[in-house]
Amino acid sequence: MAPSGLILLFYFVFYAFLAGMFCLTMWVMLQTLDENIPTYQDRVPSPGLVIRPHAAEISFNRSDPTNYNQYTQHLHNFLQNYNDSVQERNDLCLVGEYTDQDAEPVKKVCQFKRSLLRQCSGLSDSSFGYAEGKPCIIIKMNRVIGLKPQGDPFINCTAKKNSPLQIRYFPSEGRLDKMFFPYYGKNTHADYVQPLVAVQLLLSKEDLNVEQTVECRVEGSNLRNNDERDKALGRVTFRVLVSE
Amino acid sequence: MGYGRSDSYRVATTQDKDKSPKKKKGGKDMDELKKEVPITEHKMSIEEVCRKFQTDCVQGLTNAKAAEYLIRDGPNALTPPPTTPEWVKFCRQLFGGFSVLLWTGAILCFLAYAIQAATEDDPAGDNLYLGIVLTAVVVITGCFSYFQEAKSSKIMESFKNMVPQQALVIREGEKVQINAEEVVGGDLVEVKGGDRIPADIRVVSAHGCKVDNSSLTGESEPQSRSPDNTHDNPLETRNVAFFSTNCVEGTARGIVICTGDRTVMGRIATLTSGLETGKTPIAKEIEHFIHIITGVAVFLGVTFFILAIVLGYSWLEAVIFLIGIIVANVPEGLLATVTVCLTLTAKRMAKKNCLVKNLEAVETLGSTSTICSDKTGTLTQNRMTVAHMWFDNQIHEADTTEDQSGASFDKSSVTWLSLARVAGLCNRAQFKAGQDALPILKRDVAGDASESALLKCIELCCGSVRANRDRNKKVAEIPFNSTNKYQLSIHETEDTNDNRYLLVMKGAPERILDCCSTIMVQGKEQPMDEELKESFQNAYMELGGLGERVLGFCHTMLAEDQYPKGFAFDTDDVNFQTDQLCFIGLMSMIDPPRAAVPDAVGKCRSAGIKVIMVTGDHPITAKAIAKGVGIISEGNETVEDIAARLNIPVSQVNPRDAKACVIHGTDLKDLSQDQMDDILRNHTEIVFARTSPQQKLIIVEGCQRLGAIVAVTGDGVNDSPALKKADIGVAMGISGSDVSKQAADMILLDDNFASIVTGVEEGRLIFDNLKKSIAYTLTSNIPEITPFLLFICANIPLPLGTITILCIDLGTDMVPAISLAYETAESDIMKRQPRNPFRDKLVNERLISIAYGQIGMIQAVAGFFAYFVILAENGFLPSRLVGIRLNWDDRSVNDLEDSYGQQWTYEQRKIVEFTCHTAFFVSIVVVQWADVIICKTRRNSVFQQGMRNKILIFGLFEETALAAFLSYCPGMDVALRMYPLKPSWWFCAFPYSFLIFVYDEVRKLLLRRNPGGWVERETYY
Repeated sequence: MAPSGLILLFYFVFYAFLAGMFCLTMWVMLQTLDENIPTYQDRVPSPGLVIRPHAAEISFNRSDPTNYNQYTQHLHNFLQNYNDSVQERNDLCLVGEYTDQDAEPVKKVCQFKRSLLRQCSGLSDSSFGYAEGKPCIIIKMNRVIGLKPQGDPFINCTAKKNSPLQIRYFPSEGRLDKMFFPYYGKNTHADYVQPLVAVQLLLSKEDLNVEQTVECRVEGSNLRNNDERDKALGRVTFRVLVSE
Repeated sequence: MGYGRSDSYRVATTQDKDKSPKKKKGGKDMDELKKEVPITEHKMSIEEVCRKFQTDCVQGLTNAKAAEYLIRDGPNALTPPPTTPEWVKFCRQLFGGFSVLLWTGAILCFLAYAIQAATEDDPAGDNLYLGIVLTAVVVITGCFSYFQEAKSSKIMESFKNMVPQQALVIREGEKVQINAEEVVGGDLVEVKGGDRIPADIRVVSAHGCKVDNSSLTGESEPQSRSPDNTHDNPLETRNVAFFSTNCVEGTARGIVICTGDRTVMGRIATLTSGLETGKTPIAKEIEHFIHIITGVAVFLGVTFFILAIVLGYSWLEAVIFLIGIIVANVPEGLLATVTVCLTLTAKRMAKKNCLVKNLEAVETLGSTSTICSDKTGTLTQNRMTVAHMWFDNQIHEADTTEDQSGASFDKSSVTWLSLARVAGLCNRAQFKAGQDALPILKRDVAGDASESALLKCIELCCGSVRANRDRNKKVAEIPFNSTNKYQLSIHETEDTNDNRYLLVMKGAPERILDCCSTIMVQGKEQPMDEELKESFQNAYMELGGLGERVLGFCHTMLAEDQYPKGFAFDTDDVNFQTDQLCFIGLMSMIDPPRAAVPDAVGKCRSAGIKVIMVTGDHPITAKAIAKGVGIISEGNETVEDIAARLNIPVSQVNPRDAKACVIHGTDLKDLSQDQMDDILRNHTEIVFARTSPQQKLIIVEGCQRLGAIVAVTGDGVNDSPALKKADIGVAMGISGSDVSKQAADMILLDDNFASIVTGVEEGRLIFDNLKKSIAYTLTSNIPEITPFLLFICANIPLPLGTITILCIDLGTDMVPAISLAYETAESDIMKRQPRNPFRDKLVNERLISIAYGQIGMIQAVAGFFAYFVILAENGFLPSRLVGIRLNWDDRSVNDLEDSYGQQWTYEQRKIVEFTCHTAFFVSIVVVQWADVIICKTRRNSVFQQGMRNKILIFGLFEETALAAFLSYCPGMDVALRMYPLKPSWWFCAFPYSFLIFVYDEVRKLLLRRNPGGWVERETYY
């Protein structure tokens, strides 16, 4: 019993020491980190695009509200942060200019009111057009610390189909304003909201019951939107099927 | 003569009536074969034999009868041992031993992939790839070792003598030359000097016929054959000659009594091929190792299976995890490493003239604790050589070494010149033509072994014997026969003015002495007085006691008045003086030990290996050689020696007092198993003399019963059953018979017993080094498994992927693991006892404890550190990682938030994950640097051992370069999903690498400081 007890004790001490050494090295490593900005950002040189509601395929029956309720509910939840009441606390920034504030210890947040999305804000039409069969999809660009897109970035969506699809953009032309850049990170920029673009698919009668594949890209800037491997980089593809 | 020769082989009483023994293994037939030879024809009269075979001893068989017998008995050839078809050999390589583990792994992988494919839309290919790689590894390694062994067997085949044998038979009164295969029982055959005996024959008539039975009995001296039955034992009697032995000289006629597999030789060959051999020690070790590994794998697998169920994974997922963990425990590279290590050693041994037929046998010599060695041809040169001479009342020693480097004696004495003249003239042996370029000792001689010995001795000392014979023309000769026991010839003298004839004579010393009235001392004839006779007797006894065959020599000048020039000497009706001769001296011959043998035996002894001599030769000769080579070491006595020294009867000597013993075959057969065990256990120095092939087998079995790992060396057919039964049979490449080479696992290409020592050394070294290789390879298993375990338990992104694991096991770990096979021994491995196969395992729990529990854990921590560093520096702090797995691996989540609020697409974060895999991989390489350095030694500090292993240093650079290549080569991101690392990430594992080195140096320091202490008991593998 004693010898096996001894070896157990040895292993206990050994692993305790090993754990201690691991903690020490981890602690040393964590000391080298900046709390506001990650050491390396080369793996996120360019932001990805995602849509809300979060689904690869949005398919619903426009005449049955229970059918699309999950989508509209999702959008309402998502837009809580953009409520005008919340956003009014934030600052107004210069349109078309970067909001550089590297020196300030507390970064100000530029306001992006939900109402900017008009028909797609869910304020006037709480079904976001789903009831009419003209669904709104909100496109958002990933937050990347320090990212300053060159040029004038805007979202452009195309349907992968012969006949062109009528698409309406909010804000107009799908513009992503430069004033929302750069982002300074969760720590100092806690209330930051990224700019959104809502696209409303104005589906015609013939488009109903037909699956629409739509691809949206960020254009007009240096942001990548045609990466071979990463299909979410600067673009997003989704399918919409509206039935009656 | 000088031999205390007595009867020997067991007498058979039953007639073997049944047809060729069936090869039913382990059954009655094998026991039957282990019994002695059932020949009775030697006791019958010639007429009876003729009647039995319906033949005639003058006319031979009729052609019709011969044809009938041929159909009945089949051809007169040995059934070749059932050769394993090539594909079976190949399959054995593919599915044997270690491969089973890999096959199981591969099948589990395919199973896991099948489950995934059936349940998921987009199954990860990892399990499929892993299965394919595992299969490929087994197949490639299998092919490799198959070709390796095929190469050895090709060398084997080149030994085979493919010339068909011919035989001269008399059928219907006519002599016909036929193929030896067509000889049938009852055939009357004629053999002459130089022929190979075509079957077992009962001699009908003989003229000076001598046969060399050494391949059958191990007796190096040719024996004469005559029609008379001289012994009850068929192997001893003079009137039977045996299949495949050689007729040295003379002619003989005989009736064939046995053919093919029914011959004595055939029975031995059948016995040999019927013997089943056990597993090699290394195969047992690998089996043990597989048990341990499987145990660990199943334990881990089941534990985490239960844990996965508890954590709420689905059954199917848990099963996939279970399989994954079990497979992760399979050391993919180890099979290849072990094979390459063994092959390297086999190559090294082949360079030192040990050809290994079976790769696994490489290690067996290292574990050997007992060597049973045949005498003739293995320990001795299998060549009669003049060893001593007695003249001028003094014993002189001749040089018996193979290269004539030994001591010489005074050659200026006139007596010596006379002795040399007699020995040269009264000698019928002569060198075969066309060998003038060869050194004298290497030349072939036509003639009897003792005469050849004399011829070579004289040729060496006194120049050309032929020229001497030409100068002294032979005018008459009486050849040696067993009634006279002397040989005599009369020559003209070389002095042309001297018309006297010279009579020279040699023979059994006591017979020669009787013919003499004077003796030559210092070149002068003196009357033979009692004192000189006494002195002669002492010398004769002494030389006889050395196991040597002694011959006496005398001469006289025949008086010219009685025997004038042209006198017609009549050798049949002797019309000249054969007494009143002048005695010159004695010469004694022995088959001397090979020069390197005593040293080799000494080395074996200091390596704790018991060397037993097992020979068919006579006890006195055997004992003399045993003493000569150190098998019976100086100062050790047998029971008989003690009895002689104390002058008491043998029965009063306590057998325990005698360390050495010489056991006669006849005694051996009466021993019970317990008595046998007792002898083998209590005597350290044993010589078995007059043993039959069956008894050799029994001796080997006896040693094995006591737990010894037995090596048997031998060259004759009589050794082959023992060679086969032994854990490792070692046959002689030059002098060995085909049957013995077939039965053996290893072949000494230079017939030198000393090569065995090399084999032992290499075998022990490779065992130690394999331990090191395995310890090294197994260590990296832990950093390979733990990532997966943490992935399951803590739901973190996978730290190390399948591809990177394979890159370690089959890539970076390979060369360093193999390089450990080149490591030199830590201490003198030839000074320690052979390993105990029950205690000293190749892989034991202490090795696992060190490799898995200690070093492996440090390595795993090093890998995880690198993993956390990369993720943290990219924005994912450790706190964020726990539980992130589901979102992390979800393709549709393209905005996963890190600790800084940045959002990542699936592809972006996967690149970080794969960078982590690369960094984990590089970290393992870095900690494996330290691991290979600490694995160099098991006890010594690396500072004592040094870094002289160039292959290992190359290995260190190679693995680093390979790791850098895999990380930085463009295109690797697509091919293997490995990404370039920032230089600083290479250094993450450095502190841990350093820790491993320091930790193990301290451990080994404690180990050396307290031999037998706790550290040694718990950690010395």
